[in-house]
Amino acid sequence: MTDKGEKLFSYIVLAMPAVLIYFAVVAFPTVFSVLLSFTDYNGGKIFGNPDIQFVGLKSYIWMFTEPTGNFYTSLKNNMLIVGVSVFGQIPLGFILAYVLSRKLITRGNKVFQTMIYLPNIISPIIIGVLFRAFIISPHSVYMEIVRLFNPNAEFAIGTRPMVPVLFVILWMFTGFYMIIFLAHMQRIDPCIIEAARIDGAKESKILRHIILPSMTGEIVTCAILAISGSLRTFDLIYGMTSGGPAGQTKVLSLFMYESAFQGAANYPLANAISTVMVLISIALILITRQVGKSFNRGEA
Amino acid sequence: MDRRSISPVTKTIVYVIMITFTVLAIYPIFWLIIQSFKSNQVYLRTSKLSMPAEWFFGNYPFIWNQVGFSSFFTNSMIYSITTVIVVVVLANMAGFAFAKLQYKITKVLHGLFIIGILLTIQSILIPLFLMVNAVGLHNTRIGVLIPYIGLGLPMGVYLFTDFIKKGIPNELIESAKIDGASFIRIFARIVFPMCAPVSVTLAIITFTATWNEFILMNLLTAGDRYKSIPAAVGRFAGALGSDYGKLFTSLSLSIIPLLIFYLIFRNQITKGVAAGAVKG
Repeated sequence: MTDKGEKLFSYIVLAMPAVLIYFAVVAFPTVFSVLLSFTDYNGGKIFGNPDIQFVGLKSYIWMFTEPTGNFYTSLKNNMLIVGVSVFGQIPLGFILAYVLSRKLITRGNKVFQTMIYLPNIISPIIIGVLFRAFIISPHSVYMEIVRLFNPNAEFAIGTRPMVPVLFVILWMFTGFYMIIFLAHMQRIDPCIIEAARIDGAKESKILRHIILPSMTGEIVTCAILAISGSLRTFDLIYGMTSGGPAGQTKVLSLFMYESAFQGAANYPLANAISTVMVLISIALILITRQVGKSFNRGEA
Repeated sequence: MDRRSISPVTKTIVYVIMITFTVLAIYPIFWLIIQSFKSNQVYLRTSKLSMPAEWFFGNYPFIWNQVGFSSFFTNSMIYSITTVIVVVVLANMAGFAFAKLQYKITKVLHGLFIIGILLTIQSILIPLFLMVNAVGLHNTRIGVLIPYIGLGLPMGVYLFTDFIKKGIPNELIESAKIDGASFIRIFARIVFPMCAPVSVTLAIITFTATWNEFILMNLLTAGDRYKSIPAAVGRFAGALGSDYGKLFTSLSLSIIPLLIFYLIFRNQITKGVAAGAVKG
């Protein structure tokens, strides 16, 4: 074999398996999902079925106008989760990382880091079921504490069922952002900080003028991760509330799942929901990038 | 940094904050494991915050044998280990090709993998379900494994391409080439071993992701035979919901293997998370 031939042959042998599987499992289905959202396919043969008609935006219009308003409830809840992630997890994670990276405390840094990250490694569905028992069941720890103050309190899921869900999301993922910020803070050249200190800079000034500016890129990255993560939240809510009571804790992914797999299957609607989720995610990420850029200009 | 003087008051406040966060983070898990050693009647009767007066071990054999947890555990192991091995090898191969055997199409292919990192699983869930059904792989192990492998590849390809580009000098490949080695031999003998650190990181990320995956498993399998732990727990959490002792035991049994895994590999895991997140 010639050298060129050998190179091409090797390229194909090495890259092809990954490329083929990726196209079959991820790339093709992504496009396929968007296509399905414009059809009336509702079960039966999927490939080469002559009965499948393109119906344009019908599913999208239905999604936006159907009487239960499921789409808007879900969207509102997703935005609440985005809010908690961006304005709760990220600042808290940043503060924790700052404390650990600057060694404001002398002992136990590693233990704190390990323990605060720990909830992240557990399956969100398990966490959901755990907190259902911990907070929102008649025999929960939460009810026991409520009864300490009001012995006659009856179990009720409350008027704001998203609050416990948001709390658990904050609880679970804060450690993730702490780890990311920490990794980057540890990469800041210690000489710069040392030089600033010799020049008489206080800790607050070091934070404000050295650490924070060098972290804007990471804050934007984390915000993007938080947004895409928030929009795909499923397992945790499925395990914790299953969208209840009365659909008040529904999110887009759950709405999609129910449209496709519970009751009468409505695949086009479900695919329309997932397409809109992707679009929202892209829009939010672009906005975040823009905000990050203007923030950077403000710094410079 | 040691010359810094932090007042004892500040230090105490910082300690209190850090300890509070730590306790908040681990208490629910600790609580869960403790409560799994109470029988249901005892849990309902006694304080939910109390330690068991008498440790009750009956829940564990019941869940492991009667509910069939042992087979879910085996399934989880099979899925996770197979996915890890295949993803690490295939992503490493592709990463080498993309990094060192440049063709024009590389940019497009590599770019498509990168997009895949940010894609949400929801956007492929329904097509995947329909496709797996259409090819007759519903409720089979392979029907679960292929999607798992496909979903693990983007991160792997990204990490390996990046590492091989920056970490393995072209001269090394060229000199091996001059010695008459084929690219595939170079991959097997030089590149794959040199990528070991990335392989470890990727293996850990992939293992936890696969072990914890729920929504796909729930859709692509029916019945209990091929389910992994999370999907099984998701399924019988409702049925066990009235028996708290058994519910807590099944949750504990799901968590404990990962806790052990985490405590052993905690440094690699946190490093891997940071490495994987730089992609933004």
